[in-house]
Amino acid sequence: MITVTIDGREIQTEPGKTILEVARANGIYIPTLCFLEDLLPIGACRLCIVEVDGYDQPQPSCVQVVTDGMNIRTTTEKLLEMRRDILKLLLLDHPLDCPICDKAAECKLQDLVYELGYDRAIAEGSVGVPMLHKPPVKWSTIGINYFPSRCVACQRCVHVCLERVGCGVLEAGKEDGTPRIFPAHPEKCIACGECLSVCPVGALTEAVSPLKARPWEKTKTKTVCPYCGVGCVIELNVASGQVIKVTTDEAVPPNYGTLCVKGRFGFEFINSDKRLTKPLIRQGGSFREVSWDEALNYVAKKLKEIKEKHGASAIAGLCSARCTNEDNYVFQKFMRAVIGTNNVDHCARL
Amino acid sequence: MILFSSWQGEVVDNRNKKEPKSPKAIALPEEFKPGEKIKAFFGWDGIVICDDSVDPVDMALRYAEAMLNESCGKCTPCGQGARFMRTLLEKMAKGVATNDDIEGLRSLATLIKSTSKCSIGQTAPVPILHVLEYFGEEIKGRVSSKKPAQAGRYRYAVTAPCLNVCPSSLDIPKYIEEIREVRFEDSLSTIREMTCLPGTLGRVCVRPCESNCRRALVEGSVSIKWLKRFAADFEMGHRKKPRLPQIPPSIGKRIAVVGAGPAGLSCAFYLALKGYSVTIFEKSKEPGGMATYGIPDYRLPRGVLTRYEVDIIKGLGVEIRYGVEIGKDIMLMDLHKDYDAVFIGVGAQTSAKMGVEGEDKGYRGFIPGVRYLYDINNGMDPYPEGKRVVVVGGGNVAMDCVRTSFRIGKTDVHLVYRRSRAEMPADPEEIHDAEEEGVLFHFLCNPTRILEQDGKVVGVELIRMELGEPDQSGRRRPVPVPGSEFILETDILIPAIGQAVDLSFLAGCSDMKLTKWKTLEVNPDTFETSIKGIFAAGDCVTGPDVLVRAAGDGRKAADRIDQYLRGIEPGPSDEERFDRLFSKIKVFNKNEKVEVAGGMERKELHKLDPEVRKWIFDEVEKGYMPSEAITEAQRCLRCYRIGMIAY
Ligand SMILES: Cc1cc2nc3c(=O)[nH]c(=O)nc-3n(C[C@H](O)[C@H](O)[C@H](O)COP(=O)(O)OP(=O)(O)OC[C@H]3O[C@@H](n4cnc5c(N)ncnc54)[C@H](O)[C@@H]3O)c2cc1C
Ligand code: SF4
Ligand code: SF4
Ligand code: SF4
Ligand code: FES
Repeated sequence: MITVTIDGREIQTEPGKTILEVARANGIYIPTLCFLEDLLPIGACRLCIVEVDGYDQPQPSCVQVVTDGMNIRTTTEKLLEMRRDILKLLLLDHPLDCPICDKAAECKLQDLVYELGYDRAIAEGSVGVPMLHKPPVKWSTIGINYFPSRCVACQRCVHVCLERVGCGVLEAGKEDGTPRIFPAHPEKCIACGECLSVCPVGALTEAVSPLKARPWEKTKTKTVCPYCGVGCVIELNVASGQVIKVTTDEAVPPNYGTLCVKGRFGFEFINSDKRLTKPLIRQGGSFREVSWDEALNYVAKKLKEIKEKHGASAIAGLCSARCTNEDNYVFQKFMRAVIGTNNVDHCARL
Repeated sequence: MILFSSWQGEVVDNRNKKEPKSPKAIALPEEFKPGEKIKAFFGWDGIVICDDSVDPVDMALRYAEAMLNESCGKCTPCGQGARFMRTLLEKMAKGVATNDDIEGLRSLATLIKSTSKCSIGQTAPVPILHVLEYFGEEIKGRVSSKKPAQAGRYRYAVTAPCLNVCPSSLDIPKYIEEIREVRFEDSLSTIREMTCLPGTLGRVCVRPCESNCRRALVEGSVSIKWLKRFAADFEMGHRKKPRLPQIPPSIGKRIAVVGAGPAGLSCAFYLALKGYSVTIFEKSKEPGGMATYGIPDYRLPRGVLTRYEVDIIKGLGVEIRYGVEIGKDIMLMDLHKDYDAVFIGVGAQTSAKMGVEGEDKGYRGFIPGVRYLYDINNGMDPYPEGKRVVVVGGGNVAMDCVRTSFRIGKTDVHLVYRRSRAEMPADPEEIHDAEEEGVLFHFLCNPTRILEQDGKVVGVELIRMELGEPDQSGRRRPVPVPGSEFILETDILIPAIGQAVDLSFLAGCSDMKLTKWKTLEVNPDTFETSIKGIFAAGDCVTGPDVLVRAAGDGRKAADRIDQYLRGIEPGPSDEERFDRLFSKIKVFNKNEKVEVAGGMERKELHKLDPEVRKWIFDEVEKGYMPSEAITEAQRCLRCYRIGMIAY
């Protein structure tokens, strides 16, 4: 164990942790923009700077590890001034198109500017005419729009793709002297949308749902993704009775904030007009829409007839991987206890 | 004469001074290339102006443009701020800036310098701030008079402390960053731009870079060598297809290379990449030169160089003809006639004499170091009955001799060195390993006489030495203490005090000029020998040196041969000239206070246990795991900096 002092508070901690980790674990707030918990520090935004005794220059707290006896200050006038100036650099030609940006009210840049304030431009003439809503450019998958002018070059997307997904599709670079992200290896993209999920601003937005809503207009319902056996936790973002987006929860297993292409983008079918929402009974060559009672009675009657005439083993049940474990459990119970057969199978076995 | 200098905080202002002073902190050469005077230098530690035709504001603007070019965009202050710094300087250069602009520039430059992630952002504002500080009057005058700046001519290049001292000029910060970014194959491609021997250098390079690494001023240098090995092993271990540049169509010119050592192989590789057809003539049966027949397997497993890396070179169409000795089987001048150009990389393969009584009598048990290692590397013990070994010397060859001795079953191994441990030229890491394995060191001793019985060595007489005044190399000269002779009994005595060039390859060629050390004399700018069309590099030019230099010079010689065959006057590229300029200015400043709080120790490699490894030839060091390599790569500070000259 080593001892460090943060803002006058003595703290016992283990060596090898970063200043930011120790501060957060002890309820001390340091602003960050590029930092993402489960990745190696990116060190791009420089907003997490702190002062450390013995050094004239500020130290990036997300990168710098604690050493024994370190004396750290997280909120001095000088630091606040520097953080504010760094934000001003990000705002130099950031379009002020918040009113039409998907991310408004959930945007980390908005939050930080709100927190640290904005008094005057970093130097006269520095704020040009804000470039309003330049159209998005091509990303590595069609499910995502990239608005370069809104990008703060935090490189969360790049590193999440490298370190969490393991694909390495994206590269940070520059265009006309301005930092930008390039989908340099689109052939490696698996369209999982992890980059989208970590973008702190409206540079990456979801391009699937035609419907959008502000955070206060949405309700989030936690459920389990129906697509495969991993059972990732997802949150359905619902507005006006429609699912408009799928997000997830970083704190919850098994997926801890990650999703694949199906879980994240495969929700259109819910709103599809081709979906069956009422039971149908075939009569002659065509289908007739019926009530649930009628349908269930009809099926029960037919099953009973078959069982009486040919025995229970003439009936087999095939259930779906799209159903939950509980659904499947009840289904096989029904087949075994009510129908009386072991002829049960499941599409995932095929 | 220097008009103004502000290098490393030392301000020398000779403007309007009768008795000009010269700065001590910087030694700026007069010329960049013959006939091109350096009028000013802007760099990471300040500015130097030698000619009053230089407009500091214009140069600051151009420097800011260079910064914008070189800024990678991966951190906010420099990535976003560099553009704006240029905008403000542009206004100043046009004479339309306001006082607010000047203040804005000052605060912006200070912010970028304090908060950027790497040295581009941390150092590039320095010369700009110096212009604001020391040329404030001129700038104010210009603001009021609206006078535009005078456009000058400039050149710039990027360097780093580690990169500048690398004889192969590897882009170290870049390949380390690529490892950090989990782009291992990109990293290896970056390395291959400058050397075709990454796995070899990653194991046995003497790593001058690491003793010039800024991280060493924090808690320990970055493991530049081991990271290189990691990148090389990743490709080899995962059987990835080596990524090589597209070879252009054949140029139809043929080049003969003499010697398949590091110099010859490197020259051949880069010539082949340019589209030449290359034939290597090698007198032994295997490629690699001293790296194969000198360096033992426990440091460099045979397969790495002689199979893997040489196979890649052969894959480019390079032909290697083994068992052909130039000067005996084929004459050098015949090659000169039959080929469009010849490269000589024969190395320094014979042992130097110790100047000790009895060394040329042919006693059994008296075996020169390189001979000893050559036999062992060929699978035989040169003197199986002898069990006690004394090696004389303090360099890497001596270390290899002592450590190999255990591995062929010798029980008693001594090393005799005439200076003290601190002066040993061998890698300290290796001295430590040898000590762990049980080598007995005798410092401050020198052999005076060989003791012999029936034609066999039985011992050696040594005399104690004292360290006197420093000699030209800066090391203190050892002087014998009269009457302090003593005897060390031994069966085998191995001198390992240096090698000389075996000049027999020159048979029938009397025009070749040699230096007074009996090495080939070449023009340092062109690598050309005194015979037109014959080029040379490596140990046969420098005398016994190191792999990176032989390999790096081999590559540079390939560039010169290419120029020569295209009818261009051969000479160093601008990058090479900048490398030389920067090394005169010195990129690494060991007194710098690096503003990094540290606490991330260098990640060491796992080694086999001394008691196990000392008897076997298995590789001693186990390379990094990917996670270890990434953690180590994170320690690199990316010390890129920009140097710009006005001419
Ligand atoms: C024991 C030992 C250990 C060393 N350890 C290290 C180390 O750890 N790190 C390091 O950086 N350096 C080390 N060195 C130095 C390094 O090996 C040399 O600097 C390097 O090999 C020089 O390369 P070269 O191509 O100039 O010459 P060489 O490697 O000497 O190669 C010359 C080649 O030319 C061939 N040749 C010679 N004459 C003829 C001829 N007439 N006709 C045809 N072919 C000919 C030779 O057979 C040989 O293959 C070591 C050297 C020795 C001896
Ligand atoms: S796209 Fe988003 S996550 Fe990626 S660098 Fe830009 S702002 Fe950061
Ligand atoms: S070059 Fe260095 S200082 Fe500049 S943007 Fe890149 S990381 Fe930041
Ligand atoms: S920290 Fe990195 S860039 Fe700096 S000298 Fe060391 S290896 Fe080179
Ligand atoms: S959070 Fe530390 S640099 Fe961005």
